[in-house]
Amino acid sequence: MNAIEATELSKTFRVRRKEKGMKGSLRALLHPETEEIKAVDRISFNVKEGEVLAFIGPNGAGKSTTIKMLTGILYPDGGNVRVLDIDPSKKRKQLAYEIGTVFGQKEQLWVHLTPYDNFQFFGAIYDLSARETEARIRELGEIFELGAFINTPVRSLSLGQRIRCEIVASLIHKPKVLFLDEPTIGLDPVVKESIRSLIKQMNKELGTTIFLTSHDVGDIEKLCKRIIIVNSGRIVLDESMEHLKYHYLNKKIVEAKLQEETLLQAGEGITVLKQKGGHVKFEVDTEKMPISDALRLIGGENVEDINISNIPLENIITEIYKAENIGTT
Amino acid sequence: MRKYAVIYRSVLMENLQYTLNIAMSFISYFIFIFVFINLWNYIYSAPDSLIAGYTREQMIWYVMITEALWFGAPAGTVARQASSDIRSGNIAYLVNKPYHYTLYILARYTGGWSVQLPMFAVLAAVMGTAMVGPLPRFSPLHLLAAIPVVILGLTIDAVFRICISLISFWVEDANPFQWLYSKMMLLIGTIFPVEIFPAALQPVFKLTPIYTVCYGPAKLIVDFSADKYIEIILAQALYLGAAAALMLFLYGKGVRKLHVNGG
Repeated sequence: MNAIEATELSKTFRVRRKEKGMKGSLRALLHPETEEIKAVDRISFNVKEGEVLAFIGPNGAGKSTTIKMLTGILYPDGGNVRVLDIDPSKKRKQLAYEIGTVFGQKEQLWVHLTPYDNFQFFGAIYDLSARETEARIRELGEIFELGAFINTPVRSLSLGQRIRCEIVASLIHKPKVLFLDEPTIGLDPVVKESIRSLIKQMNKELGTTIFLTSHDVGDIEKLCKRIIIVNSGRIVLDESMEHLKYHYLNKKIVEAKLQEETLLQAGEGITVLKQKGGHVKFEVDTEKMPISDALRLIGGENVEDINISNIPLENIITEIYKAENIGTT
Repeated sequence: MRKYAVIYRSVLMENLQYTLNIAMSFISYFIFIFVFINLWNYIYSAPDSLIAGYTREQMIWYVMITEALWFGAPAGTVARQASSDIRSGNIAYLVNKPYHYTLYILARYTGGWSVQLPMFAVLAAVMGTAMVGPLPRFSPLHLLAAIPVVILGLTIDAVFRICISLISFWVEDANPFQWLYSKMMLLIGTIFPVEIFPAALQPVFKLTPIYTVCYGPAKLIVDFSADKYIEIILAQALYLGAAAALMLFLYGKGVRKLHVNGG
């Protein structure tokens, strides 16, 4: 069953335009001009229950606007959206009981209260009884290892501890769908890794559907099985992670240490990235040249050590953005 | 209503950590009241004279009460919160919770003054008793009866301020409107009772929130009468109903045209 269904979803913003300088300011005062910006342009997609989906794109692509329409914050101009079979724009309050949201750049916790008091607060907001809230705090406190700081005011917590508490606050009412908007922004690699494994564990143990937006490729690679890339308000790619990683660009990076120096020439399907002494690094486009042919160029008996890897996901995403004639930010 | 009670309790818990900061604002209140005590002492040349029907003690106590309400229930939360949430886009992260945003602001405001106002009430009582003397014909029962009027008055004030804040859905900045309302309440509402103004202006003031927010509560404490009590309570019920309807209307209309792009 689908947890999220979006059909031809659209949202247009009207923004003010002003010519530069004082003259422009005066003109705008007398004849205000506006411009329509299509933030989301007829996008359609489904997300299955229990799925972990990455919804990514460069800044201004329409990711956050889409999340805001899915959570009932913004009203779509066109199309249909159903989250857990609820229309977010018509039954926002009803939907609020079924979903959780974590916005990495926005705090929802009350900073002068302790995480425990915050969780009590959110439990009451979501109409949980005191006993249910208590049990939930205990359960999530164990999963997210909050014991050491659950009674410390939020303002005194580190960013990593705070994000863990933000996620727990979003899960207190057992949401069926969790929207994570840049959940690991600003965190160090160790804490990022710990947050990712907690999210993974939560998805596995509780079956929560996760809708993730992030600029951090690590989040996407470690957590998601499917990826949707949006740009200029439209979906430019909707694939499984596996397909994206292994088939989308069909490019492999070959790094070899050779017994004897061999001068490798760039050609059809071969891009030499680095060549120094017996070390050579090149990219093979397997659509144009099979990998076996590429290896023959350096001579199999001449190879002392070799490493063949897929092109990093980050590069693949950058290529997709570029192919759509945009730049990453 | 349990969730709003919890919001109220959470703000109360937050504010209890700041009692020292609140006590620091006693200094401004003391200076303000000290000036007014001297001013009214000078204006009332004879101790028994009446101005607009108020004795010297009643007039000074009136100012002390309205100023205690002003200092004890600072309107920053209700005056600026909604407006700044709308302008910054932060409202996006509050409207998708299972509570009504405007009632959330109201519960936060009420939690704020619940700590601060009793502290100012004690200060006013001590200063008034020591520097002005007891109120003529004062009864603790009048004070008890005035408590719901005070609460209703503060709620009406908050609802009006939220309404002004919600204008931010349509205009860039609602602060100039907020400033006008604030100055009207401070200069006309808290310093003088309505009766002191020319007879032609009094009905106009009765139509403004001044009558239900400042005048009503203070008048009932300094000069209680059953007729006045019923009149003010009825006016407050009417005002609260109209203001709440306006607030819900503005919010309902505004939130539909919410314009928050970007992440």
